Amino acid sequence: MRYPQIGTRAFVLAASAFSLIAASLAADRESALEVPRTHWAFVPPERPPLPTAHSVSWPKNGIDYFVLARLDQAGIEPSPEAEKETLIRRVTLDLTGLPPTPAEVDAFLRDLSPDAYENVVNRLLNSARYGERMALDWLDLARYADTSGYQTDGIRFMWRWRDWVIDAFNRNLPYNQFTLEQLAGDLLPNPTTDQIIATGFNRNHRANSEGGIVFEEYLKEYAVDRVDTTATVWLGLTIGCARCHDHKYDPISQKEFYQLFAYFDQLQERGRVSKYGNSAPLIRAPTARMEADVRDIETKLEKSRIAWDAILPKLRRTQTEWENSLTEETSTDEWVIDGLESRFPLDDIELASEVEPEPATVSDGSLQFVRGKVGKAAQFDGKACLRLKDKAGFGGRDAVSFGVWLRPEDSTGTILALVNEGDTRDNGFSVELVRGKVRVKLGPRWLDDAIRVETPQPIEIGVWQHVLITYDGSQMANGISVYVNGEPRELATQLDILTGGISLNYPLRIGSDGSGNGFHGNLDDVRFYRRMLSSVEAEVLATTTPIYTIAKKMTSERSTGEREKLDRFFLGSAAPEEIRDKFARLKTLEQEKRERFAAIPTVMVMQDRPDPADTFILTRGEYDRPGEKVTAGVPSCLPPLPQGAPANRLGLAQWIVGSSHPLTSRVAVNRFWQKYFGAGLVRTPEDFGTRGESPSHPKLLDWLATEFVRTGWDVKGMQRLIVTSATYRQSSDVTESMLQFDPENRLLARVPRMRLPAETIRDQALSVSGLLDGTIGGPSVNPYQPASLWKEIASDSSYSQDHGPGLYRRSLYTFWKRTVPHPSMAIFDAPSREICTVRRPRTNTPLQALALMNEVTYVEASRVLAGRMLRKSEGSDIDRIRFGFKLLTARNPTRKEQTVLSESLERYRSQYKVSINAARALIGTGEYPSSNALDPGELAAFALVASLMMNLDEVITRE
Amino acid sequence: MDPITELESDWNRRRFLSRGVTGIGAIALASLLNPRFLRGAQPVEDSPRTFGFSHLAPRAKRVIYLCQSGAPSQLDLFDFKPNLAGRFGQDLPDSVRMGQRLTGMTAGQDRFPIAPSIFTFARHGASGAWVSELLPFTARITDDLCFVKSMRTEAINHDPAITFLQTGSQQAGRPSFGAWLSYGLGSENANLPAFVVMTSGDGGQPLYDRLWGSGFLPTKHQGVKLNRTGDPVLFLSNPPGVDAAMRRSMLDDLSELNQIRLAKKGDPEIANRIAQYELAFRMQSSVPELVDTSGEPQSVLDLYGPDATKPGTYAANCLLARRFAERGVRFIQLYHRGWDQHTNLPKDIANQCRATDQPSAALITDLKQRGMLEDTLVVWGGEFGRTVYCQGKLTGANYGRDHHPRCFTMWLAGGGIRPGITHGETDDHSYNITRDPVHVHDLNATILHCLGLRHTDLTFRFQSRDHRLTDVAGQLVPGILAG
Repeated sequence: MRYPQIGTRAFVLAASAFSLIAASLAADRESALEVPRTHWAFVPPERPPLPTAHSVSWPKNGIDYFVLARLDQAGIEPSPEAEKETLIRRVTLDLTGLPPTPAEVDAFLRDLSPDAYENVVNRLLNSARYGERMALDWLDLARYADTSGYQTDGIRFMWRWRDWVIDAFNRNLPYNQFTLEQLAGDLLPNPTTDQIIATGFNRNHRANSEGGIVFEEYLKEYAVDRVDTTATVWLGLTIGCARCHDHKYDPISQKEFYQLFAYFDQLQERGRVSKYGNSAPLIRAPTARMEADVRDIETKLEKSRIAWDAILPKLRRTQTEWENSLTEETSTDEWVIDGLESRFPLDDIELASEVEPEPATVSDGSLQFVRGKVGKAAQFDGKACLRLKDKAGFGGRDAVSFGVWLRPEDSTGTILALVNEGDTRDNGFSVELVRGKVRVKLGPRWLDDAIRVETPQPIEIGVWQHVLITYDGSQMANGISVYVNGEPRELATQLDILTGGISLNYPLRIGSDGSGNGFHGNLDDVRFYRRMLSSVEAEVLATTTPIYTIAKKMTSERSTGEREKLDRFFLGSAAPEEIRDKFARLKTLEQEKRERFAAIPTVMVMQDRPDPADTFILTRGEYDRPGEKVTAGVPSCLPPLPQGAPANRLGLAQWIVGSSHPLTSRVAVNRFWQKYFGAGLVRTPEDFGTRGESPSHPKLLDWLATEFVRTGWDVKGMQRLIVTSATYRQSSDVTESMLQFDPENRLLARVPRMRLPAETIRDQALSVSGLLDGTIGGPSVNPYQPASLWKEIASDSSYSQDHGPGLYRRSLYTFWKRTVPHPSMAIFDAPSREICTVRRPRTNTPLQALALMNEVTYVEASRVLAGRMLRKSEGSDIDRIRFGFKLLTARNPTRKEQTVLSESLERYRSQYKVSINAARALIGTGEYPSSNALDPGELAAFALVASLMMNLDEVITRE
Repeated sequence: MDPITELESDWNRRRFLSRGVTGIGAIALASLLNPRFLRGAQPVEDSPRTFGFSHLAPRAKRVIYLCQSGAPSQLDLFDFKPNLAGRFGQDLPDSVRMGQRLTGMTAGQDRFPIAPSIFTFARHGASGAWVSELLPFTARITDDLCFVKSMRTEAINHDPAITFLQTGSQQAGRPSFGAWLSYGLGSENANLPAFVVMTSGDGGQPLYDRLWGSGFLPTKHQGVKLNRTGDPVLFLSNPPGVDAAMRRSMLDDLSELNQIRLAKKGDPEIANRIAQYELAFRMQSSVPELVDTSGEPQSVLDLYGPDATKPGTYAANCLLARRFAERGVRFIQLYHRGWDQHTNLPKDIANQCRATDQPSAALITDLKQRGMLEDTLVVWGGEFGRTVYCQGKLTGANYGRDHHPRCFTMWLAGGGIRPGITHGETDDHSYNITRDPVHVHDLNATILHCLGLRHTDLTFRFQSRDHRLTDVAGQLVPGILAG
């Protein structure tokens, strides 16, 4: 008997021995409180010798000596080794987040060699699935998500960083390097793109785009989050407590908090971030595949250019011949037509638009049509507003261009505008003259959420001039260009804080923005392009010389605009087919290259400003109450910075991974331990400070911590060490007396049963049914989700669910919206990732039961699994049930279980035999095509059996 | 359970929870509901569950929180300022603003012209409370209400302000009010969650799951948000082709198989799992029954107004709130979106009032008729107030108002609250509080007090610190408590 029976004298004695251990732990803590500077966790770990234990046969590695010694103290024995089926399922789920296949189970059962288990572990550690599973915990720590988290909670793109994490685990990047790159990869000598991507870690925090926020307030919040998260993840300290005042329990002063803060407040960033998409600092982060694609297209382009150069002499010859052959003016002079979406000739009111003729409306004032620059022109009186229905709507991310001929009679007035009349705040897009200067405004509120630029040089009054505005969709002031008569004008930026997310689907107004600021003079030939025109095109547009006239000029007398216009005309319509084809090919490839380049994702990264900013203690943590100036540094209760460490994040990172840092290795191995045993050796993994819990096995913790450093921070090695220990291989069976004696399993005389993480539950269902799409990495996907979920509460109300493979990717790729997390994940305790999460709770609720029974994901997986079971056509019902059961549990059902399942099947079968429509309804759940080859009643009956098995406690539990 | 054992179990639970442990014990306890009901006890209608936190005689057993998301204008609804009438378009005096911060949306305005409310105010009821013409139904129940005109908060933007109102912190990560109550008092109904959330109104400011989240408390305390369309509770309906009888049969098989495993493994969590599935099954009938208001008499439907039978409206949600309250749900949180009137306030606020005035008043009347107002505390209000000066263009008929955290009006009614009074005063511009300021933490401390909880005692240890809803602040407001 291992455990004393409850109520016996032996039990009382053993229990009191155990309480003594607990009491000594408590005493440790008390003394730590009194003398905080010698708190155990602030003293570097020393490698303890392996303790002696009563058994020499049980231990398999160092871990077991420490565990057994403690068990000996309490007078109890470890549990026996788990059954092989349990063991392979446990270790496969733990290391890869997916269940073992029946073939893998059988191979392990057959392998009777002494290193059979170690071989399984090595196979799993070498599987790419290992990196995905390890990444999962890291994403919680790093508060990784696909949205920005505050108010609008718009999309952001950090998946390149997420994929870096998966890859780092798979290539077993040592933990110290893993740390250096994430904290300061950008500051390493000659950093690679990957090392810069890694710094996305500290850009994963939430960021606010709400209108009206005080930028400074949020800049401070972002830096606070970086300090808090970095301290929690690497140091296991609640340093955030010292934001407003000296830490109440740990020897960390408020000043020391701001010294750490000084490492993280040096970014060139804006307090109010982009509503949708990434915010600076960011980099383009192509995947290897994308880089290859771009290289490929560049090679093709190069070839095409060589071919083009080869025919240039011929081209010149034929063009000259053509020019000479021209005898009269061509019918049209229009050669900038790519992307021309609307053109308003302004020849008369009826034909305001050439693309889709529609009468315009004129409000106030009156409009005359007079001789213009191109045909007639509209004569504005300062009051008239020409309103054209939805002809030029665009969004803040669209590249667009607006061109117009104008002859102003007054120096002030709106030329064209797109505004929301329903909003009394000045808003939208406008091009106007202000004291002769061309001013462009773009944004939902021109006062505080907009771009506003102006040409310092006024244009001329009373003269025809061409004005072209181009915009690249960057939402930045430097994305706007203004050309006057084809010449780019210098621009003064008055405001550059466009948050984005604007969509200007309003009527185009010409001559006024509707608020009385009207244009005086002539406007002609207004054009709207849905792309950014080039400077050459600006010149062509400003060139009115007809083709024939240009052709008859001496080459040297032609202006750039004229030359370009003539070339374009020739290449577009008059050149021989061979030349036109080659030219078209070149243009296509150039376009393709642009598109490929534009498709390269960005990722937000750390990048310090060139001119370091001063950091101040913030009185009571408030952004607007700076106090004493501080410089970057580390808390004095911990070791000093290494000699010669730079005074930036790299220095901090080097300090964190210093081999004698008392916290880094302990905190890391403690979290690994938590992954396998449900709780760390220190059960407050987020707090190794004086108020945190003391380790249950202090020597084991220190042995593991020093082992981690000794092995070169070998992460895979540490996982291997833990999962190959005898401690990990114990059975998870418990008895009443074991539960009474050590309810929280602090002595580790067994392995806890743990409900699987949310992601693993879903991934397992996809895997056993065969639905799983194993693609690694890439943009996040949108699996099934109740349609109205976002609509009811969020800003961006439409969830666009994927179809096909996107429905069946591993859950780690599910789109993570922080303010409305995916319900299947949230119901099973996945965090919102609004803040750093070190441990997830594991609850047991009716909502989980409802999800597993009724959510389309699980119903679909059940019926597809049923198909898999049925297609084992040679088998009997029993065989099929056993096959499905083994897929889900890695073991065969007991006779009793088998009987229950067979009887269930019979009952469902007879039900569906009589209600075939119900059967069809069930097997039609989900978008995966249903097999016609199988009998619907049979499939439905098996689907319900599969669903029954998927709902078993055992199936959603790692035993 | 005998009282001693119960006390011990409460103590254990508290000790256990306050240590923030998630071990085997947590799993055994973890459930959406008060664990005692897993043992088959029937709902108890006597004093609220206390779990060792309650030190005071509770006056209320539950809360219905009518959150008006986006922040309604106190100047156009309750905080009547007759002196502004003649000051249309004049600049807000610097002596009133006193350099206090504004949002970035108006900080750069050239001028801060005063926009007097264009709506007519009158005194109502024996208490003579001022209510504008926009709220004719509320005007009729003023004697049941306690107006707090001197509410103040810290944040000046929606996200931090509503997060502060609902969790006591501007930043994410803290438990919501309802989660604290679920943790502190548990549930009174075996078949329903302790904390439910309903939303209405389209557009306007978004809401976030964190507003009803459990923060660092065990996730079972988070609010269950009802969906406006489809299953009221996510995944409540059986899949097509599976009826209730088949579900029952499947659950019997499931239970039997789980029992077999329990016998082998000995893990009490398996027993808990079986219980949770049974609870899920009960919810499959209890929830649809609860949200089906077709059995309500016409007189009651009429009371809540024409929208009462339209699912997902504020009126329908108010009616459901009463039904949840009747069944012992501890915290019923409503959100109505769309109060953020930066522009076009006169027209838009009138629409908001049309959708909410009658149902809010009906809820009070309905609860009172049933004798439930005695022990149900109803709270009405948004995350901050609005400025007296106009945002954007001011015209005779149109204006907008920016965010204003320095003063705003909320009202409370029912359990433990003194009816028919107005607490606090603001200056002539409804800009600064001149008497009896009530901070959000003070309000929360007072609401907890009505529920029999001392706000300084309802704590949970996280990151080695004992956290509370009221952070390190909060003063009881005796002036609004019933005698």
